[in-house]
Amino acid sequence: MSNFTIPVGPLNVALEEPMYFKVDVHGETVSHVDIHAGHVHRGIEYLVTKRNVFQNLVLTERICSLCSNSHPQAYAMAIEQIAGLTVPPRAEYMRVIADEIKRVASHLFNVGVLAHLVGFESLFMQVMEVREMMQDVKESMFGNRMDLGAHVIGGVRFDINDESIEYLRAQLDRIAPAVAEITHIYNTNGSILGRTRGIGVLSHADAVDCSVVGPVARASGINYDVRVKAPYSAYDRLEVPVHVLPDGDVWSRAMIRLQEVATAIDILRQCLADLPGGPTSCTAERPSIPVGEAIGKCEAPRGELIYYVRMTDSPKPERVKWRVPSFMNWDALTFMMKGAKIADIAIIVNSIDPCISCTER
Amino acid sequence: MLESLYIPFAALLFPGGLFALALGLTLKGFDRRLAARLQARVGPPLAQPIYDLVKLARKRTMVPDIANEPVFLGAPLVGAVSMALAAALVPIPGFYTPDPVLGDLLVLLYLLTVPAIVLMIAGSASGSPFGAIGFSREMAMMLAYEGPLVLVVAAVAMRTGMGMGGWISFSLTDIIAYQQTHGAFLLDPVMWPALLAFLAFYPANLGIIPFDIPEAETEVLEGPLLEYSGPALGLFKIMSALKAVVVLGLGVALFYPIAPEGAAGLLVQVAKMVLLMLIGVTVVRVSYGRMRIDQAFRFFLKWPLALSVISLAFVALV
Repeated sequence: MSNFTIPVGPLNVALEEPMYFKVDVHGETVSHVDIHAGHVHRGIEYLVTKRNVFQNLVLTERICSLCSNSHPQAYAMAIEQIAGLTVPPRAEYMRVIADEIKRVASHLFNVGVLAHLVGFESLFMQVMEVREMMQDVKESMFGNRMDLGAHVIGGVRFDINDESIEYLRAQLDRIAPAVAEITHIYNTNGSILGRTRGIGVLSHADAVDCSVVGPVARASGINYDVRVKAPYSAYDRLEVPVHVLPDGDVWSRAMIRLQEVATAIDILRQCLADLPGGPTSCTAERPSIPVGEAIGKCEAPRGELIYYVRMTDSPKPERVKWRVPSFMNWDALTFMMKGAKIADIAIIVNSIDPCISCTER
Repeated sequence: MLESLYIPFAALLFPGGLFALALGLTLKGFDRRLAARLQARVGPPLAQPIYDLVKLARKRTMVPDIANEPVFLGAPLVGAVSMALAAALVPIPGFYTPDPVLGDLLVLLYLLTVPAIVLMIAGSASGSPFGAIGFSREMAMMLAYEGPLVLVVAAVAMRTGMGMGGWISFSLTDIIAYQQTHGAFLLDPVMWPALLAFLAFYPANLGIIPFDIPEAETEVLEGPLLEYSGPALGLFKIMSALKAVVVLGLGVALFYPIAPEGAAGLLVQVAKMVLLMLIGVTVVRVSYGRMRIDQAFRFFLKWPLALSVISLAFVALV
C-alpha cells in the first residue's frame, strides 16, 4: 500500500462547484484532508457597499443559485428591522411559499446528486424528473427557474391568484407521491444503503463542537431549525415539524432532506389553505431607510443563514456581512472524512450540500 | 483459402478485426439507447459510439510530461490487438469455426486478461495518482472475477468432456458440437449455477456498474483512462468494443450455441449477442449503483465463486 496525495477539485466531476480538497491517502483510505477555498470569490461583500439598499436585493439574490431565495429574504428582514417596516400577513405567507418551493427543489437536487455519485444513474434521473416538476412551478409562478426575485423591501414582488393556487395544488399532488416513492427507494435500496449507511459519520459531540447547522446538524441529533426556534415570516402560524435522526451518517442527512421535502410540501398546502387577503407589500413606494443596524436570519435549505446590515446616512449600506450555513458545515468534513475510503470522498462532500459560491462570495 | 492468409484475415477482417469492431460498436449503441429508454431519456443515435471514435481519431493524443511515453502509447495498441485476435478465436455456431492453428479456449482465457493488465500498465505509465488508484482497483477486481470465470469454463469443459466419454475438453468446437446434439447448457439445470456466475462476470469484465470501480468517474475520474486523449483513447474504446464481442460470443458458445447453418447462423449469433448485451449488461447497469471495491471483492468471493464451485461439483457428480 502506498501513500498518494490526490487532488479532489477545484474542477472535479464529482463536485458541483469549485472547491479544492488535497486528500492524502494510504492505499484506499483517507489519512488527511486539506480544504482550500477561494476559487469563486467575487467580492460581493465589497460590491454590496457600492450599491444602494434596493439594488442590493438583486445582488444578494445572485450570490448563489440554490439559496437564491434565502439571501434576499434574510437581507430584506434585516433592512425591514432597521426601517421599522411591518410586512403584511399576505406577504409573509408568500415568502414562506417561495422559501419552501426553493427548499423542495434544492433538497431534491442534492439527494439526486447523491444517487449520481453512487453511480445509480437511473435513480438520479428519477429524482431530477421530480425536481423538474418543482422547476416548472418556479417558472410558471415566478417566471424564472432559479432566481425567483420574490422579495422587495417590505413585502413580496409577486402575487398569486386562484388560478395559480389551483396549479400549485395540482403540482404538489403530483410531487408528493413521487417524493414518497423516492423516500422509499432511499430507505430500502441495497445500492444506496450499502454506500451511505455508516459513511461519513459526524457524532453528536463533534456536531456540537463544529456548530453545524441545517440538515447536517439535524442528522446528527441536534434539534435546531430557525423556522421553529426563531420563527420569521408566517412560520409561527404554521405547523413545522423538525426531523432529527441520531446516526449522523450520509444516509441520515439524505433522509432528513427527503423528510423535509415532504414537510415542505405540507407547509405549502397549509399556506395555500390559510392564505390571508390584503396587500403584498407594506409600501407602494420605496421606503426611506434610516440609520441603524440589524440582524436577519432565516433557515436556508442548507441551514441557518444570518445577515448583518449597518446603515449610515447614505443610501448605501456601510457594511453587510452574512454567515452562510456551508461555512459552518464544511469544517465538519474533516471529522467525516476520518478513515473514509477514496470512493466515499465525493459522497461525503456532497452530503453537507456545500454551497461554495455562498461561502466564498 | 490460403493457409498463410487465414490468420491475418481472421484477425483483421472477419470475425475479428473490422467485423467485430463494427459489431461491438453497434452493441454499445444498443446498450446506450436501451439504457436511456429505461431511464426515460431519448438517448443518443445508434451510431454514437462510431461518431465518438471518428471524433477521437481526428484529435491529438496528449502525453503527460511525467508519463513513460512508449508504455503509455503502446498499452492501448497491445490491448486493441489482443482483443482483435481474441475475437477471431470465438466461433460463430453454424457459420465460423476458428482454425486450431489460432488457439483454443485456454488461449482465449489468457487473451481475456490482457485488457485488464493493459489498463493497469496504462494507469501506472500515465503517472497520475488516479491511474495508480485505478491500477490497484483493477488488480483487485481481476483477482476477484478471474477465479470464478476459470471455474465456470472448467465446468462447461468438464460437462462436455464427460458427455463425450472423456474427462475434460477445452475445445470450443467440441463444446458447441456437444450442445448441438445434446441440448444447450442454458436449459440444463446442472449448469445453472455456472450460468449465474458467468453473468456476474460480465459487468466486472466489461467495467460497467456495479463493478466499474477501477474507472469510476465520480471517484477516480476514469482512473487509468484519465490522462488519455485522441487516438490513444480511441484505441481503448476499440478495445472495449471488441472485448464486448469476445465475452458475449464466449457466453453464447458456452451456454446456447444452437444455431442454423450458413448465413442464418451469423444473423442468429448477432441477435443472441444483442439480447445478451441488453439482459446481461444494460439492465444490470441501470438497476444498480456502484459498489465499493471492498464490497465488490467480498461479493465475488461469496457468490460467483461459490456458484462456480457448486457447478463444478454438480458436473463432477451428476
